[in-house]
Parts: sequence; structure tokens; C-alpha cells
Amino acid sequence: MSEPISALRLAASGMRAQSERLRHTAENMANVDTPGYRRKLVTFEEAVRFGRPTGEVEAGRMRLDQTPLPQIYDPAHPMANAEGYYAGSNVELMIELADSREAGRSYEANLRMFEQTRQMGASLLEILRR
Amino acid sequence: MFERIEMMRMARAMGHHVAQRQVVVARNIANADTPGYRAQDLAPFEDSYRRGVETPALRTSNPRHIPYEGQLRPTALTTDEAQASPNGNTVSLETEMVRAAEVKRQHDLSIGIYRSALTLMRASLGRR
Repeated sequence: MSEPISALRLAASGMRAQSERLRHTAENMANVDTPGYRRKLVTFEEAVRFGRPTGEVEAGRMRLDQTPLPQIYDPAHPMANAEGYYAGSNVELMIELADSREAGRSYEANLRMFEQTRQMGASLLEILRR
Repeated sequence: MFERIEMMRMARAMGHHVAQRQVVVARNIANADTPGYRAQDLAPFEDSYRRGVETPALRTSNPRHIPYEGQLRPTALTTDEAQASPNGNTVSLETEMVRAAEVKRQHDLSIGIYRSALTLMRASLGRR
């Protein structure tokens, strides 16, 4: 009986990691017009407990995208420098949209797995109920 | 007691195998976006069942001892050699969905066989 539970745990870890990624994507999209904002990135890695890999997935450390910020010409902007330029954010809405779609799709796949594991456990218990 | 009946033993072994495979598929799907992760799978049930038991049956020196038949050896993990995406990940969600459907079908099959075997035994006991 330990296997179904560990399958549930794996699926839950996948959902947790994907929702964290979705949260960062939403944060990036919200800040698409914030001057000087750098895009936030998370990479996934295998979770390690007590020095042993568990097979679960978790979101790693958040990093900032180091691509140079675009210089936008707007002399009327309060943050514009002497030449009339200010640093925008390096968020690309198109990329964030694609990223959020992918995260949603992977989340759903994990959810389907969770549901199926639960069903399998339930039908196993159904044998006892006779 | 039920271990002695071949049909139930096989259904039990299949259920065990399928539960292990479910964990492998769940792990693949959870790691669908992990860089460098290679998708894994279990060898088919037929192979692992034909190879027989690993732990030998216990010797009994008294007829009242409960016999222990030994356990099926855990099946070998195989790694997919599919085309990796740019980040080195070989998980394809579509393949995993097919595997998950297969797992569900085999699980239903093993439970169905186990249940009908139980019904057979009930019938032979004269109960419904």
C-alpha cells in the first residue's frame, strides 16, 4: 500500500513546483511595464532528502534574467536620464504567456495522475467492502 | 492461504507490478520540466513474472507452519532513449498519458480477476 501513497506524493510535488512556476510567471506579467524590473526565472530540480534523491521535483532558487534592460526613449518620464532614456523591464509577454500555458498543461497532467492513483486505491479498497 | 492459488497469486503479482509502474509514471510526469531528467519505465509484467521469484520460499519443518512462497523480484527500470528536448529532458507527456491509461487498464484487470476468484471461492463454499 506504500506505492499508491508515494505516487500521490510525487504528483503533489509536481503540482507544487508547477504552481510556483505559474506564480513567478504571473509576477513577471504584472510587472511588464515596471521600469528596471528583471524577469524572474525558476528551474526545477530533483528534491533531495537526507542526502538521497527522492524522485520528487521542486522549484529551485529563483534567479533574475540577466539580459540587458531595454532603453526606452521618453523624456517626459520621471526616471528618464539626461538623454531622455529610461530602463524598461526585460519581460517578454509572449514568452511569459507560453510559459504559463506550459505550466498549466503540466499541472493538469499531474492532477490527472493524482486522480488516477486515487481511483486505483479506491477500487482496491472496494474489494474489502464485500 | 490465498497465495497457494495460482490465479490469485498472479493477479496479486500483477497488481504489485502495476502499482510500482504507477509510481514510475507519476515520477516522469512530475519531472516533465526538470532539465536533464530521463524518462523511465518498467519492463513488461510478462517478463518479470516469467523470470520467477527471487526470494526463495521458506522451508517448513512442521505442517502447521504458515508457508511463505517468496516474492517476485522487483522489475528492472528502463530508461527511454527518446529525442531529448534542448534542456536534456526526454519526458513526453503524451507517452506518459498512454502509459497511465495502460496502468489503469491493467490495474482494473488484476482487480477484476482477484474479485472473480473470490466469487468463485464463495460459490464453492455454497454462499452467494
